[in-house]
Amino acid sequence: MATVLEKSTKERLLSVVDDLEVLSRELIEMLALSRSQKLPQPGEDTQVPRCAVILELLVQRDREFLQLMEVAQQQGKVHQEMQLLEKEVEKRDSDIQQLQKQLKEAEHILATAVYQAKEKLKSIDKARKGSISSEEIIKYAHRISASNAVCAPLNWVPGDPRRPYPTDLEMRSGMLGHMANLPTNGVNGHLPGDALAAGRLPDVLTPHYPWQSSDVSVGMLPPHHGNDFGLEPPGHNKENEDDVEAMSTDSSSSSSDSD
Amino acid sequence: TGGMSESVEQARNRFQSELEFIQCLANPNYLNFLAQRGFLRERSFINYLKYLLYWKEPEYAKFLKYPHCLHMLELLQYEHFRKELVNAQCTKFIDEQQLLHWQHYSRKRTRLQQALAEQQPPQQQQAPPHANAAAK
Repeated sequence: MATVLEKSTKERLLSVVDDLEVLSRELIEMLALSRSQKLPQPGEDTQVPRCAVILELLVQRDREFLQLMEVAQQQGKVHQEMQLLEKEVEKRDSDIQQLQKQLKEAEHILATAVYQAKEKLKSIDKARKGSISSEEIIKYAHRISASNAVCAPLNWVPGDPRRPYPTDLEMRSGMLGHMANLPTNGVNGHLPGDALAAGRLPDVLTPHYPWQSSDVSVGMLPPHHGNDFGLEPPGHNKENEDDVEAMSTDSSSSSSDSD
Repeated sequence: TGGMSESVEQARNRFQSELEFIQCLANPNYLNFLAQRGFLRERSFINYLKYLLYWKEPEYAKFLKYPHCLHMLELLQYEHFRKELVNAQCTKFIDEQQLLHWQHYSRKRTRLQQALAEQQPPQQQQAPPHANAAAK
């Protein structure tokens, strides 16, 4: 095996060819010289061994040359194999790259699928949390419709005291109203049309309206708060005298009013 | 009074009064009253209004007979709305619109029934008793 320190085959071949050239030139020169010159015998004696040496060297160099040529041939074969293998390697490389691309695509698709699945699970959870029995919904729907709280009665005409909100009368007859200790001859309801009803019923006997629902809500407690508002809800205690008169005067009669 | 705990009785009363109060908010005239008294400008009252949002939860909302109050409560969270309520014309407008909306479904139903009645031949025409029964 050629190591880095040795000369490359090409160099060696070339140097051998150079040697051959030099040697053969010398030989030819010597022969030419000996032919042209009629040298005395002692001269010939010294030249013959010299020729023999050159010839030997020549033969040697030739042998070397042939050996080197064989080596070169083998090296050429090896080189060819190397090229074939390189091509194989290239092919494998491109295969790997292709697989890499596909893997990446698959990963992307899976990630999307997982994400969407998670979103679905989230919305399922959300829906589950907000689920209410249909019975309760129907009950509640009946409650707010039957009392005309969300849908006007079919025979409603302007002048009808009924409203989608608690009227003055209802407000005063509730717990908040009673907390205020109102004078019994308070001002009438918010509509002149309500005067009849208000006149007939002294505050003490005012009916308990269902919107205050103490029966339904027994046991129900409000969320705790640390009294950080610092203010009692209006309609309470000291405010109430103003409450009573102001409401009837400020609440400029709604458009449906009739005197 | 920050850490004071209330008795169950007190809590029940508080529930009752808060239930009443929040439904009063459905009354635009009452809102006008509150605005003109300056309650809607007080920080503690504004905080209280925010606290009342718990009535939106189903377990509390089911006690509300006048659900319009929830919409009003949501609007009350906005300063712009609270400012406008001082104006009596504004609350009058709200009242009118509220009543119109309230009448919307009955009007729609009446129209439907009329249309149905016109389509069908007189013998098969049915009086709409179920509508009135449900309304009552």
